[in-house]
Amino acid sequence: MSAYLDWKWIPRGIALGILAFIIFGPLVNLLLWTVTERWYFPHVLPLKYGFSFWANVFSPRGNAMSSLGTSIFIAILTVVLSLGLAIPAGYALARLRLPFRGLILLALLIPQAFPNLPVYVNIARIFYEYNLNGTILGVVLVHVTHGLVYAVWIATAAFSAIDRELEEAARSMGASALRGFWDVTLPIAAPGLLASAIFVFLESLDEFTGTYFVGAPDVSTLPLLLYTAGSGGNYQIASITALILLIPSIAFMFVVERFLRSDVLSKVGH
Amino acid sequence: MSAKLETKVSDAWGSETPPQARSADTSGMVQATGSAAESGGWAMPVQAIGLLLVAPALAVVVFLFIVPLISSVTGAFDVGGALSLGNFAKAFELYSGDMLFTLAIVLLSSALIALFSIMIGGYLTLGSNPRAVAILRWIYRWPLFIPFIVVGQILRTFLAKNGLMNNIFIELGLMTPLSAMSFLDWRGIVIAFVWKQTPFVALLLSGAMASIDRSTIEAARNLGANRLRILVEIVLPQVRTTLLVGLILSFVTMMSVLSVPLMINAQSPTMITANMAFRINAYRDYGVANALGLISLLMTSAVAWIYLRQTMREHSR
Amino acid sequence: MKTQLIASMLAAGMLCTPLSAAELTVLTAGDKNMVDYVNEYLGPLFEKENPGTKVRVVGTGPGDAGSQKILERFEAQGKAGVEKWDADVAVVHEKFVGPMVEQKFLEAYRSRIPTGSLVTRANAKIALGTNVDGYVMPMFNSQTALAYNPALVPNPPKTYDEIVEFAKKNPKQFGYNGIKGGASGVSFVMGWIYAYGGGDAQKLMNGPFDPNEAKNWDKAFASLKEFTRNATLTPGNAGTLDMLSRGEIAVGPVWVDMFYSWKANGQLPPEMKLVLPAPGMPGQPMHYVVPAKSANKELAEKFVALATSPKVQAEGIVKRFNWYPGIDAQHVQANLDKETWAKLFTDISPEELAKYGKPFPISPYNSAILEAYERQVGN
Repeated sequence: MSAYLDWKWIPRGIALGILAFIIFGPLVNLLLWTVTERWYFPHVLPLKYGFSFWANVFSPRGNAMSSLGTSIFIAILTVVLSLGLAIPAGYALARLRLPFRGLILLALLIPQAFPNLPVYVNIARIFYEYNLNGTILGVVLVHVTHGLVYAVWIATAAFSAIDRELEEAARSMGASALRGFWDVTLPIAAPGLLASAIFVFLESLDEFTGTYFVGAPDVSTLPLLLYTAGSGGNYQIASITALILLIPSIAFMFVVERFLRSDVLSKVGH
Repeated sequence: MSAKLETKVSDAWGSETPPQARSADTSGMVQATGSAAESGGWAMPVQAIGLLLVAPALAVVVFLFIVPLISSVTGAFDVGGALSLGNFAKAFELYSGDMLFTLAIVLLSSALIALFSIMIGGYLTLGSNPRAVAILRWIYRWPLFIPFIVVGQILRTFLAKNGLMNNIFIELGLMTPLSAMSFLDWRGIVIAFVWKQTPFVALLLSGAMASIDRSTIEAARNLGANRLRILVEIVLPQVRTTLLVGLILSFVTMMSVLSVPLMINAQSPTMITANMAFRINAYRDYGVANALGLISLLMTSAVAWIYLRQTMREHSR
Repeated sequence: MKTQLIASMLAAGMLCTPLSAAELTVLTAGDKNMVDYVNEYLGPLFEKENPGTKVRVVGTGPGDAGSQKILERFEAQGKAGVEKWDADVAVVHEKFVGPMVEQKFLEAYRSRIPTGSLVTRANAKIALGTNVDGYVMPMFNSQTALAYNPALVPNPPKTYDEIVEFAKKNPKQFGYNGIKGGASGVSFVMGWIYAYGGGDAQKLMNGPFDPNEAKNWDKAFASLKEFTRNATLTPGNAGTLDMLSRGEIAVGPVWVDMFYSWKANGQLPPEMKLVLPAPGMPGQPMHYVVPAKSANKELAEKFVALATSPKVQAEGIVKRFNWYPGIDAQHVQANLDKETWAKLFTDISPEELAKYGKPFPISPYNSAILEAYERQVGN
C-alpha cells in the first residue's frame, strides 16, 4: 500500500513542485523586495535587509492604515451593492424570457471592455455634477459599475446552470416563487455567486484610477499609494503595499469559503 | 445513462427553452401540464418582471458609464469639428500591427488559461488523493490577490535576463549564465496574463464542477472510464457555460490592462491600451484614443457575441 | 442588515464632503518621493508656520500620465461648472502647464508672492512655446542624462556620435525606452533630432513652428532606426533604471532626479554615474500651479512661497534629494555649505549643464517629432 502511494507521489510531487515554483517564485520576489534595503546586479539576493520602507509606508502622516480601512469599507459596500443588483438581474437574464437579452449582457460588459482612460474625464464630470465627488458613495458606485461586469455575468451563468426542474418541483409542492428561489435556487447558485463576490471585492480593492477621479482628495485608498509607487519603480513600497492588501483579500476569501463549505455541507444533508 | 446526460446538459443551457419543449423530452419527470399552462398566460408579465429585475443594474451601468462613454466616444468621429472617420484611419495606419498583436496575445493567453484552469479544476474535482487536492487548492489561488500593477513589477524583476528566475536556475546549476535570456517581450505579457488570470477562471470552474451531479461521474468511473475521459466527456460539457463566461471576463480584463504591457513589454508592437495612454498623455489626442477604445470594444464584443449567439442557439434547440 | 449598511454608507458619503477652510489640498504628479516630500517635509513646515492649517497631498503617479490626470481633473470640474475646486496647489510637468493656462484653469500668482522675483530662467516664463509667465513657480529643474556603471564602462560616450559608436561596438548594451514609456526616452529622441535633425535646433526649441521642418528629419530617423537595432528597448523610465540595476544594459538615458531616488532606495549600485552628452539633451522643470478656482488661494500662495523660498529649496530640494533647485542658483547656494552644493555637480559640471541642458522642443514640434518617430522608427 505505502509503496504504491510513494510511486504515485513522484509525478504528483513533480507537477505540484513545478506549479509551486511558478506561483511562488514571483511571490518570493515580492516578499524579498518588502524587506530589501539594497539589491542590484550582480547580487542574486538582496545585499542588505531591513524595514526602513515599512517605516515609510506606516509613517503617521502617510495614513496607510486609515486608507486601508477605507479601501476595505468601500470594497465591502461594493460587494453588497453589486450582488444586490446582480442577483435579480442574473436570475432574470438566466430564467425569464427577456427581449434583447444578448444586448443587455453586452451592455453590462462595456465598463470593462472599453479601456477607461479616455472616459474618466467625463465620468468625473458627471460625478461632480451630481455632487458625488469626494464621497464614499461616489467611489462605491464607480467600483460597482466595474464589479457588475463580473457579478452579473457570473450570476447569469450560475442561475442558468441550475436544473430548472428542482425549482419547478418546489413550486409544484406549493412554494411561492420567491420561497422557491430563496430555498432552492439561491443555495444552488451560491458557489458561483460567492466566487463573483470575491472577484468584485478584489476588483474594488485594487482599483485606483476611478478612485482618484471620483474620490480623491477626500477619499484616500491604499491602491492610490500603490499605483504611484508601482509605476515609479519604487519596488519596496509597492511590494509592501501589495502585501498589506493581501490581508483583507485573503480574509475575505476565507470568510466566503467558510460560508461556502457549510452551505455545500448543508446541501449534502438534504 | 447517455439519454439522461443529454437532458441535463440541455437543461443547463435551457434558460429560454419554453417549458413545453422540454417537457416533451423529459416527460414524466415534471408535471408538465401545470407549468405549460402557466407559461402561456404569464408570458407578458414575466417579461416585464424580468426587465424590472434587470433595470437597476442596467441603470447604474448606463448612467454612470455608458452616458459618459458616449460623450467621449463621439469625439472619435470628430476631426476638427467635422464628422469624420479620420481618427479611425489614423488608428489603423499607425496601430494596425498593434491591434493584431493585442488580439493574438489575448487569444493565446485565453487558450492557455482555459487549458490550465481545466487541468486545475479537473484535478480538484476528480483527483483521487485528498492530500494532493488540498495542496493544489492551497497553491493555485495566490496570484488572484496580486493587483496587475504589482504583477507587472514582480514579473519584470523575475523574468528578466538577470532576474530572480534565471539567477535561481544558474545557482542551482540548471543553466549557464550565457544561456540566460529575457522573457520581457510578448512572452512576458502572456506569462503575466496567464499567471494572474488562470486562478480566476480555475476558481469559477472548480466551483461549477463541484456543484455538478456526482452520480454520473461515479457511474462512469464504475464503468471503467479513465479520469481524462470523464473530465472531457462528462464534466466539461456540464460546466461549459461557466468556462466560457470565465474566459470572456478574463479576455475583457486582459484587453483593458495597461500596467502589464507598459511594465513588461518594451518592444513595438505593443498592446492597444498602451497606445491609448500614449495618444492621451503625449498628444492629448482623445480622438484617436477613443477610436482605439472603440476598436478594442468591438473586438471584445465580437468575442462575447459569438458566445451569446451560441447560447441562444443552444436555447432554441 | 443591508439597509443599515446602505444607510451608513450614505451617512459616510455625506460626512466626507465638506472641506474645512484651513485645509490645503496639494495634488502632485511624480514619484512616491514627491508625495513624501509634501507630506513629511513641506506639510509639517507649513503647518508649523500657519497654525490651524492642515496640508494633505494626493499623488497622481509618475510621468506625463500623472500630470495628465491633474489636467483632466481640472477639465472635469471646469465642464461640470464647479465653483470651488477641490485642489489648491498642483505640481505638474512643464508640458501640461501650457494647456492649463490656455484653458484658463490657473491663477497668475507669481507677482504676488515674495519669492516670485527669485526666478529668472526662461523656462519659468515659456513652457514649450506657450507663455506661462506669472502662472508658475518651478519646484525643481530636472535633466535627462546618461547613467552608466563605471565598472562596466570606464569611458562612457560623451557625445551622440560616441553613443552611436558605443552601440555599434557593444550591441544591446545601450538601452532607452522608446517614446511610449516615458519622457527619458522621448528626451533621448529629441536630443537625437537636435544633433542630427539637419535643421536649426534653436528653432525647434523656440519656434516658430513650420510644418515643413519635418522633412529634414527623415535622415535622422533612418539612422535612429538603424541605431535602435543595436540598442535595447526598455519598458519605461523606471524600466531603463531597472535594467541598469541588473546589469542588462550598461548605458541608458534617465531622469537625474529618478536616478538619485533609485540610488537612495538601494536599487542602483552606488558607484553608478551620470554623463550629459553633447550637443545636449532636454530637461524640464516641475511647476507649482494654483487653480484659479481654488478655495484657499491665499493659503495656496503662502504655501508656494514657502516651497520656493531659498531655505526650503536648499534644504528640501538640494540637500534632501540632490535635485537642481527651481529658483535661481545663487539664492540657494548661499544657504548651503560648499560640500552639499558641490555634490549636486559631482557628475555633471555647472558648465556642462549650462551648455548641454536643453529645453524640450515647443509643443507642435514635440508632437511632430513623436509622430514621425512612430511612423518611421516604431513601425
